[in-house]
Amino acid sequence: MSEPCGRTFDEALISGYVDGTLVQGDAQRVQIHLEDCASCRALVDEITAVRETTISSAFATPADHEWPAEAPQSTASRTARRLGWPVLAAWAILLAGVGLLEAWRDADDSLERLILVAGVSGLSLLFLSVLLDRLKARKSDRYHEVHK
Amino acid sequence: MTSAVAQDDEATDRELIDQAHSGQWDAQDTLARRHRQSAFVLALQMLGNRDDAMDVAQDAMLRFFTTLDSFDRERRVQPWLFTIVRNQVRDLWRRRQQRPGDGLVDGEALAGQLVDSANPEADLQRQQLRKSVWRAVATLSETKREIIVLRDFHDLSYKDIADVLKIPIGTVMSRLHGARKQLKAKLEEGGHHV
Ligand SMILES: [Zn+2]
Repeated sequence: MSEPCGRTFDEALISGYVDGTLVQGDAQRVQIHLEDCASCRALVDEITAVRETTISSAFATPADHEWPAEAPQSTASRTARRLGWPVLAAWAILLAGVGLLEAWRDADDSLERLILVAGVSGLSLLFLSVLLDRLKARKSDRYHEVHK
Repeated sequence: MTSAVAQDDEATDRELIDQAHSGQWDAQDTLARRHRQSAFVLALQMLGNRDDAMDVAQDAMLRFFTTLDSFDRERRVQPWLFTIVRNQVRDLWRRRQQRPGDGLVDGEALAGQLVDSANPEADLQRQQLRKSVWRAVATLSETKREIIVLRDFHDLSYKDIADVLKIPIGTVMSRLHGARKQLKAKLEEGGHHV
């Protein structure tokens, strides 16, 4: 590519030159051209000047009190969730217990009771496995140290 | 908690991330204080209005910390946070049913958020120039505005810009140069030569 000013490289290299991101060969090519070309020099100067103007700007930022005090996570929602699950679990266990007791009392023969025992054992095993997983996960849970 | 504050000021982002991963809440707080202002300013530069910028910055910080678990400690915090801010800005435009090309901002409002330097008398001319430049930045398309802002205000490296904009690093220089040329043209249109 050849430009009116005689430049043989992509004009975008001028930006790379200003930013100091060019590989040595490209930087040299630009450098050599700039020595002979006033218009590309002017472009370098202008990009540099605008950059100095923007980078030295400062904007009004919110004061500390304008940010939510309890950074950055919603602690309330996590506490609620942490409390919510045990409460729900307790309720479910209570409900299941009452139901089972009723069923046991109403059972007519030992076969029905056997079926109940089998069901409860199965559920207990499932619960136990979930519990073990949870306990294992708890060890790597970064939130469990919050209360210490 | 108070004992950690002094050393947190000097802790690197990576150290703070590690501390946060191990459940130290004041590390999160230090990270938040360190980065939320630049998140706010980026949002302001993209949206042009303080209230929207504050909403976006707060949401972005929240998202930043809820995704902290999966944050790769080898990455740098600022580009990652800026990626989140950029997504939140786009979400806001989408919610308001603006097409991306409509993301123009009010140049007066943006320039009005500039803080005067310590010695306004001596620096009056420079500050006037800054206002003109930011008014012109506000008239750029958001694609051009974001790359100008990331490089020439937040001073991100080409690599970090590629990371935030999700473009190949080889594209950064040409896109940036196109944006700078456009900004130069806008300034000339407005009769400002920097
Ligand atoms: Zn030239």
